[in-house]
Amino acid sequence: MNTTVTLEFSQPDLLDPLLALSAVELDALEFGVIGMDADTKVCDYNTLEAKLAGLSKERVIGHPLFTMVAPCMNNFMVAHRFEEAAAAGQPLDLTLDYVLTLRMRPAKVKMRLLASPGADRRFVLINRKP
Amino acid sequence: MCADVDSDLAEEHEALTQFVYLAPAGLVQARSDGEIVMINPFAAQLMMPLAHDGDLSNLFTALEDIAPDLRSRLAAFAAPQGVVCDGVHLLAPGRGKGGRRLFSFSLIKLDDNLIMAMLQDVTAQAQRERLLRHQEIWLTAILTGVSDYALIDLDAHGCVTEWNESIGRVTGHGAEVVGRSLGVFYPADAITPDRVLDRLHEAEFSGWSLDDGWRLRADGKRFWGSAMIAPQRALEGGNALAAAFASSDKNGYCLIIRDMSGHRDAAAEARNAAVCDHLTGIGNRRAFFDAAETELRRWRRLPRPLTLVLIDADHFKKINDTHGHPVGDAVLRHIARLMGATFRQVDVVARVGGEEFAVLLPSADLAAAQRVAERLRAAIEAQPTQTDAGPVACTVSIGIAAMDEATPSVEALLKRADEALYAAKHSGRNRVCGPAMAPVEAG
Repeated sequence: MNTTVTLEFSQPDLLDPLLALSAVELDALEFGVIGMDADTKVCDYNTLEAKLAGLSKERVIGHPLFTMVAPCMNNFMVAHRFEEAAAAGQPLDLTLDYVLTLRMRPAKVKMRLLASPGADRRFVLINRKP
Repeated sequence: MCADVDSDLAEEHEALTQFVYLAPAGLVQARSDGEIVMINPFAAQLMMPLAHDGDLSNLFTALEDIAPDLRSRLAAFAAPQGVVCDGVHLLAPGRGKGGRRLFSFSLIKLDDNLIMAMLQDVTAQAQRERLLRHQEIWLTAILTGVSDYALIDLDAHGCVTEWNESIGRVTGHGAEVVGRSLGVFYPADAITPDRVLDRLHEAEFSGWSLDDGWRLRADGKRFWGSAMIAPQRALEGGNALAAAFASSDKNGYCLIIRDMSGHRDAAAEARNAAVCDHLTGIGNRRAFFDAAETELRRWRRLPRPLTLVLIDADHFKKINDTHGHPVGDAVLRHIARLMGATFRQVDVVARVGGEEFAVLLPSADLAAAQRVAERLRAAIEAQPTQTDAGPVACTVSIGIAAMDEATPSVEALLKRADEALYAAKHSGRNRVCGPAMAPVEAG
């Protein structure tokens, strides 16, 4: 069952290849993937992200990301950026340094925000590698 | 069996994890040297903007800028466990577009090795508390040195929503006043429906609107009073006064009418002196331009009829030369008196030059302005000034201009009225001219 997924966290133009992946293929990635729809409801939550956050996919999928799953991202650095991009009809591809509190341990991460006016899903990617 | 228990526990653990993730308060557990063991997302959100490089590995280090004494506080806390500090307010710099934030911080010593901290953003609460204090100060200021006051609830259109005793006491109105516009408390010509809306808008915009002047009781008697209008809603971080009268009625206003009888103090006198023409007692140039600027501002927000009437005494130099300056002054006073009797209180009546007067008429179109101007012209012609030297006849020429999109300033409006006045003078005097109108025949 060797999948040939070779997506890297920092590779350019990542949104389209991500959109093409199945849930199983998302699970094989080496970075956390949270996908959400236009209403901010979580539609993808890959295994790595579930394991690190301590929350199962079942608990998360279908719930609004910024209020029910990750209120720590409901701020001007993350949630606001998606809103701004959507309001302006602009694509969003931004990588920032962030501190997550996965299972209540502070962890510095790189976070990448991906959205495009034409895409029905938007992504928060989380890379814990230094 | 065993697998079931494990899965139940896992399920429960996950629920607990989510519970702490979503807790709307910042929670931190740390070693006594400040090293963070656990921190929930809310705490991280509050602390991240404070910590250098977003480093949240040590509580004391992360909060160093806003609470540099945490380490020493904990060190000075001798008891084996207990509350080191409880709800201490810490002022944090703003982030993003926000202003400064106020945190409430509590620190609990669990044992020699472990501490817990709780962090909350209390900026909004602190603002509310401050507004309440403002309210006290305002009410004290409002109610001191005042004969009496009425506290009146208004709806979004400026109509009285309910009667209370203070309304009866100050204005003499009974329950029949409910549903009527606040204009009912003004003498008939002292306010227009447009002006009511202007005042509400100004209250909305700047938090309050205040004006001093004659007020009307139900029995028709006047009293000198001030009226303050404030929107009835708590503005978050907004104007103190606006929130001071906050109630559940979202879009309404609060009107306070103060009876200032016998309290027209030195400040009011001085203000009057500054805006009154010394000779005639009506407004002076400054008062006129101040009022005109305000009216033009209102017009730009919401265009509605606004006219300017410019009045000039005919052959005034001859009156001065023939009868002397004291008689000339008496004629000017007489004209001013007749103007006061002719125009409404809401109109701005002023002496803007030697023998030149201007009147600004809010909510009056050209036809209305022309009618009242004609009435003034006829009154002045019909009533000579009574002087020690006998009656002295005088007539006036009047030019009218209406505010429109093409008029950028008070000066421009005056210039157009002046052109009409010139036309009136040129076509024989003692008449009223409007823009591109044929002169109105005298008599």
